[in-house]
Amino acid sequence: MEHTDVNVIYSVEHQLPLVMYIGQYFFFTGLSAGSFVISVIATLLGRKEFKPIGKITALLAPALLIIAPINLILDLEQPLRFWHLFLYYNWTSPITYGSFLLTAYPIMGSIYAVMVYTDRQKAAKVLGILGIPLAISVHGYTGFILALAKARALWNTAAMPTIFLVSAMVSGIGLVVIIAAVRWKWFDKKATPETRAQDKKLILQLAQFMAYVIMLDMFLILSDILVLLTAHADAFEAGMLILSGNFAPLFVGVEIILGSFVPMFLVLGPKSRNSLTAAVVASILVNIGVYAMRFVMVIGGQTIPLS
Amino acid sequence: MAENKRWAMVIDIRRCIACHACTVACKAEMATPLEVNRTWLKIVEKGTYPDARRFWIPRLCNNCTDAICARNCPTQATYKRDDGIVMVDQHRCIGCKYCIASCPYDVRFINPLKNIVQKCYFCEHRVDAGLQPACVESCPTRAMVFGDKNDSKSEVAQMLAANATVVIKKEMQTDPQVFYISADETAMSNVEDGINYYTEGSLAKIRF
Repeated sequence: MEHTDVNVIYSVEHQLPLVMYIGQYFFFTGLSAGSFVISVIATLLGRKEFKPIGKITALLAPALLIIAPINLILDLEQPLRFWHLFLYYNWTSPITYGSFLLTAYPIMGSIYAVMVYTDRQKAAKVLGILGIPLAISVHGYTGFILALAKARALWNTAAMPTIFLVSAMVSGIGLVVIIAAVRWKWFDKKATPETRAQDKKLILQLAQFMAYVIMLDMFLILSDILVLLTAHADAFEAGMLILSGNFAPLFVGVEIILGSFVPMFLVLGPKSRNSLTAAVVASILVNIGVYAMRFVMVIGGQTIPLS
Repeated sequence: MAENKRWAMVIDIRRCIACHACTVACKAEMATPLEVNRTWLKIVEKGTYPDARRFWIPRLCNNCTDAICARNCPTQATYKRDDGIVMVDQHRCIGCKYCIASCPYDVRFINPLKNIVQKCYFCEHRVDAGLQPACVESCPTRAMVFGDKNDSKSEVAQMLAANATVVIKKEMQTDPQVFYISADETAMSNVEDGINYYTEGSLAKIRF
């Protein structure tokens, strides 16, 4: 794109409306939704070796959901008016839906966790199945928040909710791998050599699954970028900003290479595929990558000036 | 006829001399704090000497008929009046800034003193009292014309009928109500101008 012979003589600066509190909120709701889905899968499959993971993730999901809205309230310019979101609504605004989802989901998640810990398998399974669409909506609606802000070219894509959900899955599985590995190493009191071998195999399988979901994530990002680069002027500039502009180190360096390709090779590579340490390192990198992705999307998306 | 008022503005850039009187009058009328603007001018220079020329465009809220901000506001603090002005309820606004993120024209801002979202409202307090907006009143060349688009006898309606007008970012389908005569496309554009990335807040200022 040629910008030769044009100089801006006078313009005014505009504020960056959404800062990283919002990106962090997306990150935490993603982790929470990912943990909840894993917990429900573990509960539904019902096998004994899945139980510890099912229990940990059942607790993690609502716990993460308590941290998330604190970020939102901190970002508000009028934080003491946050209750307006429950009194006033707008059915064409994704944030209205989000406010109610964000209330229903932690309640559902807490009841589900109680069912899992008190070993009420049937109730847990029913609540789990009912809770999966809720968990997906709680993170999916954040993708819609960005997608429906028509003005920002990096955000206004149909792929946004899907990209958000897939990265949430990736980071959620990563968190579960880390926590399960920590428990395996230091907190598994009732371990026998065979349960230890079984648990290790399970964690490595989870990490493998994470690698396959990363491949899906890469495909989605590739499609998003290809369309950005071949669409209109604002979209092209957004694509160039993250590929070769000021956000390239974060996007290409941290999100793609460090946060996606390195973990994939660590988990699937012949030398490291049986190493629990490699799986944990990969999961840490994955979470750093997904956090960087939230940053690039939220902040980078607002960096292209609109006037 | 008086029921269906539709406030609109026509800015004839052939008459505009980029004197910034509108910017100053607006600041004075609305007590807009430093660093934020309800209305401003953008001036670009195209070409290299001796074939260089400056083009400018006065910018303010377009009070769009199909406003994305009003669609996205979670509390309906931002709403559209029947006469077309998009208002912000200063008591209902929670400052989530989704409207600022959604606006394609960058006309909204957080008032740093009051911590709510504000923008140009076509001086509705003056308009409701039968006056013209402050910027229109102050324009020395009468480049800005404001009135009821639906009243065929108003100056605005006649100018719209007699002149070729453009709006900014028509592809956004927001149906803006500020019409320009003879606006330069580079001055209107946000990507043709060599992009000065500018951000405020948690990130250091990035320059292209």
